[in-house]
Amino acid sequence: MSQDVTAQLKHTIIFNGLSDEVLSDLAQKAITRKLSKSDVLMRKGEPGDSLFLIHNGWVKIVTLDSKGDELIINKCGPGETIGEMALLDGAPRSATVIAMEDTEVLELHQDAFHDLLNRRPDVSLAIIRSYSERLRFSTTYIERAIDWSQKTAEGDYSFIDQTQPILHGAATDDDKATQLLSAFFAMVRKVKEREDGLKQQLEKLTFEIDQARRKQEFEEITSTEFYANLKEQAKALRQKRAQK
Amino acid sequence: MNKGKIVSIHSFRGGTGKSNTTANLAAQVAMAGKRVGVVDTDIQSPGIHVLFGLDENKMGKTMNDFLHGKATIREIGFLIGENTGNAEGRSKLAGKDLWLFPSSIRGREISQILKEGVDFNKLNEGLQNTITEFNLDYLFIDTHPGLNEETLLSIATSDILIIILRPDSQDLQGTSVTIDIARSLDVPNLLLMVNKALPKYDAAQIKKDIEAQFNAPVAGVLPLSFDMAENASSDLFSLRFPDHEWSKGLRGVAKAILAVE
Repeated sequence: MSQDVTAQLKHTIIFNGLSDEVLSDLAQKAITRKLSKSDVLMRKGEPGDSLFLIHNGWVKIVTLDSKGDELIINKCGPGETIGEMALLDGAPRSATVIAMEDTEVLELHQDAFHDLLNRRPDVSLAIIRSYSERLRFSTTYIERAIDWSQKTAEGDYSFIDQTQPILHGAATDDDKATQLLSAFFAMVRKVKEREDGLKQQLEKLTFEIDQARRKQEFEEITSTEFYANLKEQAKALRQKRAQK
Repeated sequence: MNKGKIVSIHSFRGGTGKSNTTANLAAQVAMAGKRVGVVDTDIQSPGIHVLFGLDENKMGKTMNDFLHGKATIREIGFLIGENTGNAEGRSKLAGKDLWLFPSSIRGREISQILKEGVDFNKLNEGLQNTITEFNLDYLFIDTHPGLNEETLLSIATSDILIIILRPDSQDLQGTSVTIDIARSLDVPNLLLMVNKALPKYDAAQIKKDIEAQFNAPVAGVLPLSFDMAENASSDLFSLRFPDHEWSKGLRGVAKAILAVE
């Protein structure tokens, strides 16, 4: 089990730059906790002071909607990690986590983590390095996203085809920056499709007037005695108005 | 001498939004500081008096009574600014010089003008007296759809004829005949207004094509709008929603009317 835990820790943003030896040491400090269905693992607003690795079973991450009803934001299962950022910043929990069935989780408390950092300055450095890389990666893509947004606003979608391969190369499932960009590309593609559709729809309206019918209807109206009188009177009126 | 202009608003078929357009155009011209009258001769529902917030029960004598010498024009004109009710758009007309002259409020009176023999000169004299009495700059006439005799009288006396049409074959066909009639009756100013244009058509192209087809200016191509359909029957849309595309288009048409010398 310790080996599973080591591998699982390696997938987290905080720990992915650390050696197996350090992770194995950390895994030893983790405490197993067993939850029954509906047990609360953490509550929204509580101080966040530990990370949880789900070993088996499923949990739901919930918040309350405006009416006070439970709203499920996400579900997590075996191999997934919850609350890793809490180890670094200790911020209050942003959601409540409840077991959906009998669930076994490993809890790594902040104290064990801090203890490790105190003993091993090289681990602190590795974590900082790993974070910097991540930050640089995100910043680069944010800068590109700004550039692409401006292009989209101007109706220039050429970057979609040019940039897609780079994006595929860098994509991993839990990489939020890449997920954002995928969503961004999907959005731009849809905008472009809609725009193309509208352009096609902006059809040229063709008018065809039946000239024979036009002439016939005109003659029907103007051939009456009423119309002949009206035309005379109107003509006189126009002349009178023009003279004034 | 009378400087006031008679502006007839016409459409060949019903459903073009003619009454609404007439009411809004008159309101916009009044908002520009002009003295404006509106004669309602198209009594079809909802009727222009509803747009101006007038209760049918309040209306006693009509334009017909005036034309037959049974009433003075002063008895017939309603000053809209004093009767706006609590409608948000209409209330902007408070203090403006805009009068409504109901022509006929009951169905059986529709063709009374003709039956009782009001001829062109009598109608024209009545309209000119209305202009003089109220010192109007513009007198708008909301005409019946189609080209019946009463409508021909209105067209013949007009200084400006505005034809409203939808961009479809039937309206274009009908409009072609109306334009021929207007030219035959020497109407000095002819303006076309396209209403209810679907967004899928290019408005600039519609304007260009229709102008080329009829050799007459298109003063505006206004969009089909669900907002308009929902809000139009109870208030003056262009005053209530001034930033709406329809309202912008309408102000363009009002501007074209004001530009006529």
